[in-house]
Amino acid sequence: MADKVIYAMYDDDDTLMNGAKHLVKEGVKVSDVYSPMPLHGIDPIIGVEPTRLGIAAFLYGLTGTMLAIIGIRYMMIIDWPMNIGGKPNFSLHENMLSFVPIFFEFTVLCAAHGMAITYLLRNKTLPGMPARNPDPRTTDDKFIIEIKSSENAHIEDKKLSDLIKSTGFIEIEEKKY
Amino acid sequence: MEYTISDRAKKVTLGLALVGLVLLVIGFFSQKDFVYAEKINDHAVSIKYNGKAGTDLQDQLKEKIKQKMHGYKVDFHDAHAHHDNHTENHHASEESESEHETLHASTGSEHADHAAHHGPTFVWDVHLDHEETAENHGGHHESGADQLVSMVESGEISFADKGNRRFWSNLLVNGFFFFGISLGALFYLALHYATESGWGVVLLRIFEGIMSAMPIGIAVLLVVLIVGSFGGHHIYPWMDPEYTDPNSAHFDPIIFGKKAYLNLPFFWIRALAYFATFYLFLRWFKKKSRQEDREGGTESHFKMYRRGALFLVFFAVFSSTMAWDFIMSIDTHWFSTLFGWYVFSGIWLSGMIMVMMVTLYLRKRGYLPYVNESHIHDVGKWMFALSFLWSYLWFSQFMLIWYSNIPEEVIYFTERIENYKILFFGTFIVNFFFPMVFFMSRDTKRSAGYLIVIGLMIFVGHWFDVFNMVMPGTLFDQWELGLLELGMFMMFLGTFVYTVLRAISKAPLLQKNHPYLEESKHHEF
Repeated sequence: MADKVIYAMYDDDDTLMNGAKHLVKEGVKVSDVYSPMPLHGIDPIIGVEPTRLGIAAFLYGLTGTMLAIIGIRYMMIIDWPMNIGGKPNFSLHENMLSFVPIFFEFTVLCAAHGMAITYLLRNKTLPGMPARNPDPRTTDDKFIIEIKSSENAHIEDKKLSDLIKSTGFIEIEEKKY
Repeated sequence: MEYTISDRAKKVTLGLALVGLVLLVIGFFSQKDFVYAEKINDHAVSIKYNGKAGTDLQDQLKEKIKQKMHGYKVDFHDAHAHHDNHTENHHASEESESEHETLHASTGSEHADHAAHHGPTFVWDVHLDHEETAENHGGHHESGADQLVSMVESGEISFADKGNRRFWSNLLVNGFFFFGISLGALFYLALHYATESGWGVVLLRIFEGIMSAMPIGIAVLLVVLIVGSFGGHHIYPWMDPEYTDPNSAHFDPIIFGKKAYLNLPFFWIRALAYFATFYLFLRWFKKKSRQEDREGGTESHFKMYRRGALFLVFFAVFSSTMAWDFIMSIDTHWFSTLFGWYVFSGIWLSGMIMVMMVTLYLRKRGYLPYVNESHIHDVGKWMFALSFLWSYLWFSQFMLIWYSNIPEEVIYFTERIENYKILFFGTFIVNFFFPMVFFMSRDTKRSAGYLIVIGLMIFVGHWFDVFNMVMPGTLFDQWELGLLELGMFMMFLGTFVYTVLRAISKAPLLQKNHPYLEESKHHEF
């Protein structure tokens, strides 16, 4: 389906925030915002759902702890029990304290890596992937609001452009896909 | 906006202190009595007790004496069962002295008969004979009787304390805990200035109020230290000159070896340096922020910025050495280089919890219009993060000592696990798992209900943390949690909070000329 996408560019994050607020209030669906830095408070304005990365991080961390416990149990208790400083490794339970640092580190390792990779995958920004931002200047000092006409079918084109005009952009571009 | 203490707040805090005082007095006078010991001759000691202990407890004590006097043949004879609780010391000694001759011949069966008639009070004549095969005889400087007397006097053998150890230890616990809260607030204020932070400006007057209550802690600590220096209590063993006198029967080579650092003159120089430094900085910070209110400009701010950094330098050294001097030296033989940071993390966290509680209270009453959810969230984050710092240091200290298992180090934890097991691990569980589970989420750090309930639990948990640091070295296994502890804690808490609120009411709640005020007002994330 042919879709028309409007990119409105701003040179100030406050203008963009206020503009986005205004558009959303008038019933316009803003599909995305591109910015060189995190804009605190933009998510609830344009209706981005809260991230679930935290839940993923917790699961990765849990996986890490489990792997660490299994690994230590096999290596230090079953396969080759050692006597370190008079503390023989014959029982995971009794030597638990000395393994806590490993549990901790491995949990952090798994949670951090899992989270980073998930984040990059989900955003389609793994190294080598094509850039998805419409204008390279959004990585420097410009901000862009993305509005898709297919999502705003309920608003007349004339009214939509009037609304966008009132937000104080510095540049506007239309692309057809 | 000016804050004035409401009548209700005044009544609640002072009422709490008053009820605490009453409980303290009741608790103090209903304490268990302790055991006296008197040497009769080199082979006989008279042990007297005028409290209430059943036969079981008495048998336990006998077992303990037998254990401690390893290498001696220990005989117990009940000299006389006093039913009069007001037995005077000298009176009892005369009596046992006179009965000593007759009872020396008492047979085992008689002894058993006596045991069946144990009243609440006893006088034992303990006879110590060297076992025929005692091989370590040559090495002893002191007689068995001397050893036993000193053990009873030091509290090693007792039902409870001598010289009001329990009272003094509690005074030290509370004095240090509440001193620490003010110190934590002062430290954070200095950190806030030194790092040129902006977010917390609307809270700075609360930090100022809390640190203003420092004189309470200083005064109590001074009392404890002065009385200790004059031998009024035996919390700090190294203060006793007998231990460092090579000619004394109680000579302790380890304490002697630490004499270069742990001696009274140097200790007092340090203690006064801590108090003076902290207090002068405190006064100076308060003065400057008032001056900023009046004059405006950035001159005071940059002065405070530099002075804040200077304070951190002092604090970095003093927080560690202070923890060694006031707390670690109770267990004079033991040492841990990590101890200073561990104590410091507890201090900082208790301070932060107090800041949170006062902020929530004032905000509820409508005095802090500029404190928004994000400020509360940030203080909540500090509580969460510092709980982890504390747990990390707790565990590091514990794990390394547990793992290497060197007797001179591990004794510290052996004592705690044997006699304070529930408190020792309980404190860790409350102070680590509660913040972890309940403060992990963003929403709970913004909810007053969670913050108050969990925050107060951690607060009490950290009081018990100080309790765990002090009591095992002063009361050994004779610790108790009773009216004395509860009353004294309530008394201190009430007085402290009242002082804090009164100090807050003395200045406007907003530093109106702070250069970062606007940033703080709009703090949001």
